[in-house]
Amino acid sequence: MNDYIFMFFPYITLLVFVLGVVIRIRAWAKSPQPGKMTLFPATQGTEVPGVIKEALFFPSLFKGDKTLWSFSWIFHATLALIFIGHIRVFTDFPALWAALNINADNMSATSGGIAGILVMATLILLLFRRFFVGRVREISNLADYFALVLVLAVIITGNMMRFSGHHFDLELTRAYFSSMLTFSFSAMVVPADTIFRAHFLLVQLLFVYIPFSKILHFGGIFFTQTLVKQS
Amino acid sequence: MGNGENITGQELHEKVVESVTAIKNGPKVLNLYMDVCARCGTCAEVCPVYQGEPTELRNPVVRSDFIRGIYKKYTTTSGKLLGSMVGASDFDGDMKKWVDSFYECTGCRRCATYCPFGIDNSVITRKGRAIADATGYTPDTMKKVVQTSLDTCNTDGASPEAFKASIDFLEEEMKDEHGVDIKIPVDVVGAEYFYVPPSGDVLVNPEATTGIAKVFYVLGMQDKWTMSSKCFDGANYGLFTGNDGHMKADNKPYVEEAKRFGAKYMFMGECGHAYRIMKMMMEKGKWWGDLPFKVINCMEWTADRIKEGKLEFDKSKNPMPVTYHDPCNFGRSCGIVEDPRVILEAACEDFRDMTPNRGENWCCGGGGGLSAMDDIRDFRMKVSSVKKMEQVKATGAKYVATACSNCKRQFMQLIESHNADFAVGGVHDMLSRSILINGKAAERVDWEG
Repeated sequence: MNDYIFMFFPYITLLVFVLGVVIRIRAWAKSPQPGKMTLFPATQGTEVPGVIKEALFFPSLFKGDKTLWSFSWIFHATLALIFIGHIRVFTDFPALWAALNINADNMSATSGGIAGILVMATLILLLFRRFFVGRVREISNLADYFALVLVLAVIITGNMMRFSGHHFDLELTRAYFSSMLTFSFSAMVVPADTIFRAHFLLVQLLFVYIPFSKILHFGGIFFTQTLVKQS
Repeated sequence: MGNGENITGQELHEKVVESVTAIKNGPKVLNLYMDVCARCGTCAEVCPVYQGEPTELRNPVVRSDFIRGIYKKYTTTSGKLLGSMVGASDFDGDMKKWVDSFYECTGCRRCATYCPFGIDNSVITRKGRAIADATGYTPDTMKKVVQTSLDTCNTDGASPEAFKASIDFLEEEMKDEHGVDIKIPVDVVGAEYFYVPPSGDVLVNPEATTGIAKVFYVLGMQDKWTMSSKCFDGANYGLFTGNDGHMKADNKPYVEEAKRFGAKYMFMGECGHAYRIMKMMMEKGKWWGDLPFKVINCMEWTADRIKEGKLEFDKSKNPMPVTYHDPCNFGRSCGIVEDPRVILEAACEDFRDMTPNRGENWCCGGGGGLSAMDDIRDFRMKVSSVKKMEQVKATGAKYVATACSNCKRQFMQLIESHNADFAVGGVHDMLSRSILINGKAAERVDWEG
């Protein structure tokens, strides 16, 4: 029974995520806007490069609150790295590693390990900030805490696989995802690893939650920043 | 369209909910602002009101949540299912709290400058005020200004005769100062430049207008410009009450007057929100279709003439330290930040910038029309202006130049209530005192205060 959940839930998760995000972003894109809301001066950058800069480096936030900027930027940048790093759970690039003369497992153990700690530490700082900084506490509701706690749970289970000393079977997991990607249900073996299962379920919960929550700010920023940048 | 009788009870509740849920259909900007805020609190950190005295109701997000909460409750699945856990809330019927709060935001857009998403809480404030207006709850002081302006085309309710008398007086003043006839042409059909100041720059602080008259005189363009005895106040409070219908109705006579004159330029005076409405909203948004004239403002025009070397000054007429307060509507909303500085550098001996400045400037505390509301004078003197006063004091300036009648009124009251040791006035005021006419600056000494 348990195994069936892990065989079929991921498809539903992906469907809800993609449809949800597309529907929400389409609604934003189609909503009529009478004019721009340009903010000056232009040192904030013009439309396309300015918006990309905001999405990558948060320069406006940097000017407004340097403490929050450092927590927030390190958190988001590390999260992006970790997201990219997860490609290796699905596939591998032995030719690339050979060409670069890199031991991929060692590299991912080191950089992934550091990233896992950093992302957890900055997230905890963000959570603390919500609890203890007056102007943030007074605007925080349960959904704001839930988003942070959910991501924290994902990160903690992820880190447990790396740091708790138990063996995470990369080959087995890769085979599981590979048969999922090719819809080979008869060949699909769900890893028995409990921590992996917890991690993967939490990730799915997060992905299902994203389209219905403020976490979709990673999509919204392109729209809101475009409105205030000069064309 | 607003200013009707106050509605109450169930009817009020329905109207508020209906107006908020209508956001679903646009504009895009509000649609996004309902969804995207990450609730990080940066807006409160940079808000002149919250920094003046931090209380929960003054937190920009708490204020915006009046509307966001209702939107979540009635239009989102999570809000319907999970209610307050996800920040959904119902309208509690307390319109006084609503109005007090939305009229404590100065609409300065500083939050948008620092928000990582560029969320402009003033848009939500304007929506909140629009709802108050549509249900009859706009504060009486504001209602009166809007109505006066719609009735008389100026916010002071001054008659064309009173206006002409002021112009005659200004022409006499300039004759005394320079010994020559410097004209302020009125109602001249065929003039290229139609000068639209705030009425304050004719009736209260008229030196800006004499400054502009002198620039036209020096350039030999006395017959190229005109004022209108009907339309001499660009101020438009429909922007502040959130009533688009009023804003356009107030704007229309000015556009018609410009067409009647056959003007090539709608030449806006030192009034930030008037210029913003004409340039960024009316002209860009094509309210009245394609126009036979272009909207420009007096500061960019004069600054260009200075850069061309066409104007000369005797800076010793303005020896005191002078600073410039960027009106939010001119700076953040229109990008007119270098031109006033060009003029002040040319006309004054000791120009000093305050920090921060330009697009990052702190609001004077009277923005969003609040300056006209004497019923909240205490709030303006003790809360919304705290940051501004710190900034000005740090410069040691004895004269604060600013290009906005509302900022000037706020500063005049601040000087009075804080016994502050500086004066306030316009940008062209400084020019008027030091510009050379036939090689000589104005012969006057009584310029204090």
